[in-house]
Amino acid sequence: MNNRFLINYTPGSTFLHKLNGTTKVIGFIAITIAIIATFDFRIMLAIFLLCMAGVASMRPNWKPIAFMFGFLIVMNGIIGSLMVIVISPESGLTKTGMETVFWSTANGRFYLSWELLWYTWAMFFKRVASLSSAMLFVLSITPSELAAGLNSIKMPYKVCTIVSLAFRTIPDIARDFTDIKNSMMMRGVELEKASLSKKLKQYIIMLVPLLMSSFAKVENISNSMDLRSYGKCKGRTWYSEHPATKGDYIARGGIVLIFLWCAFYIIFFRNMHAPLVDFWCPWVPQEISGYWF
Amino acid sequence: MEKKPIIEFKDFSFKYKIQSKATLRDINLTIYEGEKVLILGPSGCGKSTLMSCINGLIPFSNEGEITGSCKVNGRETRTLSIFELSKEVGTVLQDSDAQFVGLSVGEDIAFSMENEMVPRKEMIPEVEKLAGTVGMEDFIKALPFDLSGGQKQKVALAGVISDKVNILMFDEPLAALDPKMGVATIELIDRVSQDKTKTVLIIEHRLEDVLYRPVDRIILMGEGRIVADTTPIELLNSNLLKESGVREPLYLTAMKYAGCDISANKTICDIENLELSDDDKEKLIAFFHEETPEIKKEPGEEVIRLDDVTFAYEHGKPVVKGLDTVIRKGERVAVVGKNGAGKSTMAKLITGIHRPNKGHIYIDGKDYKKSTVKEIGEEVGYVMQMPNQMIVKDLIKDEVELALRLRNISEEEITERAAEAMKACGLYSMRKWPVDSVSYGQKKRVTVASIMALGPDTIILDEPTAGQDYRHYTDIIKFINKLNSEYGKTIIFITHDMHLAIENTDRAIVFADGKIIADESVYSVLSNDEIIEKANLKQTSLYMLAKKLDLSPEKFIEHFIRYERMVKSGE
Repeated sequence: MNNRFLINYTPGSTFLHKLNGTTKVIGFIAITIAIIATFDFRIMLAIFLLCMAGVASMRPNWKPIAFMFGFLIVMNGIIGSLMVIVISPESGLTKTGMETVFWSTANGRFYLSWELLWYTWAMFFKRVASLSSAMLFVLSITPSELAAGLNSIKMPYKVCTIVSLAFRTIPDIARDFTDIKNSMMMRGVELEKASLSKKLKQYIIMLVPLLMSSFAKVENISNSMDLRSYGKCKGRTWYSEHPATKGDYIARGGIVLIFLWCAFYIIFFRNMHAPLVDFWCPWVPQEISGYWF
Repeated sequence: MEKKPIIEFKDFSFKYKIQSKATLRDINLTIYEGEKVLILGPSGCGKSTLMSCINGLIPFSNEGEITGSCKVNGRETRTLSIFELSKEVGTVLQDSDAQFVGLSVGEDIAFSMENEMVPRKEMIPEVEKLAGTVGMEDFIKALPFDLSGGQKQKVALAGVISDKVNILMFDEPLAALDPKMGVATIELIDRVSQDKTKTVLIIEHRLEDVLYRPVDRIILMGEGRIVADTTPIELLNSNLLKESGVREPLYLTAMKYAGCDISANKTICDIENLELSDDDKEKLIAFFHEETPEIKKEPGEEVIRLDDVTFAYEHGKPVVKGLDTVIRKGERVAVVGKNGAGKSTMAKLITGIHRPNKGHIYIDGKDYKKSTVKEIGEEVGYVMQMPNQMIVKDLIKDEVELALRLRNISEEEITERAAEAMKACGLYSMRKWPVDSVSYGQKKRVTVASIMALGPDTIILDEPTAGQDYRHYTDIIKFINKLNSEYGKTIIFITHDMHLAIENTDRAIVFADGKIIADESVYSVLSNDEIIEKANLKQTSLYMLAKKLDLSPEKFIEHFIRYERMVKSGE
């Protein structure tokens, strides 16, 4: 049951697993901000390498991870990039400041430039870096730590417990749904052969019993929580949130560095030395790009 | 020593806001410190409402009108919040799965401490201590998904049993457990009640199972009122049980059949220490030798055959292996065994949801390899445990016709076949009613009718009577037996309920660890200690009664069943 849908229910034993919820949550926020705020290929690359090293250190089951990356490569890397190339081939020029065309159709409507390829590659790589940071986060944290971690950054605890309750009930709901689906198949609902629209309709029908059985549970769950003082105090302590250890302080130090670097990058490039184009490209000279390094 | 009243109801009535009639009426009841009390009664008699009045769910989560007084530990509950009450009253709810809100055993036990803002440092040792009191200390890190129903219940108890709590309430603790776990739960409750500062209230309708350990007092409820407030001995001697739709213990029924005088017997509540007078013994032995008609059934043709069937989700880890059995037309078969032993996997294999990795399944003599699930569904119907898991349409008629409509059948034939199925299930006059407006038992009939419409020879019923009191249980069973006797349907019950198996099936297929360990008459299964142990079953009280009489338990149980069927067919 552990590590189903990639989610860990019991904490693992590696360095990253052992960090507490707060560290993991603020770490994820820091990396996400870094990716969004900078959008610089060099930083993406660093983040990607860092995250993948982290993922590897947790010795995960690589199969689902490979699947997620495969999905991303197909959806974003191939389909997404092709769209950009077909629809706006001029973005190579507008984003990087230069255009070195090496192939073009006779009428000049479609063409390829090295800068365009660089731009689409960097766009795709941004998604890859985001996914790798999400993987790092999901693999390292348990739902209970997530709840405790969110609470520690001032998220109201009622919202946080909903998060952990959701993870508690997902496997049950999935099981109920399989049972319902099976019984409908025996009554004659065909899911394998049906067309997509028909299939969708069949699935919607099955939501009725699923919702009915879930609603019945909700009352029981809320009664059992009321009877155990849920909502009595303004705050809440967390059984799963261990106090910060040496590892946490080291990791938090790293997180502070990421924040500082982001702040520096933003101040330097957005305020003091605003570049002339949005996008850093290794062969575009400084006079054109305006990037100092 | 003066007994100290801990719960006091005085002229108490309660009416839910959404209901027109009061659910509880004129309740006058005092429960003293350290007592162990059973609150008994059929579904809908108000016993759960009574419990909600004590633990504060009424009026905290369920609004309504309260008249009269209800005091817990000398304080009027109306003036207390649910949080204040929860410090004195601990409640273990019926649904052991839903009340498990933590993501591990430790977290769930700690839940109320977390809400009380107990620092984590104090929480950890306290959780260990509480887990120890219920015997779950080795499972603190275990996940809810890996626990059995009985273990979840223990965790629920540990979550409410802090030092200050001196009233513990158990709402239908046996409802979802297999027989052996039920015994363990009753033992655990008994151990808790040994602490004389703790008052224990058990709400149940299974009298025989609760009486496995003594209780001080039984409150019998019916239609919102207290029908009797008495000792177990007096209750068993009265006719109140029958009138209230609560089942009396089987050994008692046997003794009544034999004509024993039970009124003078001080040990009548406890089968283990039951003392029988020479006169009683004589009468019981005479009863045993009475002639009863043999239950004869011509073996019909084969409808389902499993031939060396093995199935695994993951390679190398078979869930069931080497299943061999034949089910014949018109048989009633019980599939029993502990959870996860392979009962439902067998049902999924027969219905084609799973296919054997090895071996063959024949339906009507034909290997079903090439048939789709839909095609198999016309031969073998499967009825899920909860009607709400199956019902998708608003009207009864539409629900019953659903499966036919998915099969390109002409409109006339659909109407005709659905009408026939609804007539067989006693629903024809209600066909235009919305499904929501009918009772649980009738919903069950709707789901059976929706399967019957396809005309299968065999119907598999998953726990058809779970959570039902004796009256509803009898209704459902009568109806299923009619399908068997009048319409010739082969019935397969998947069940924990040994009463159901004894009285209503001809044969039991017993599962343990993915294998069929017995495939014979129910009474021989229930007289075989080794099978009982392996399959998490328990001996019935008839077995123990037979032992006391030095009679063969197998023969005695068989005789009892024949006798009972004779009496019932005469009714």
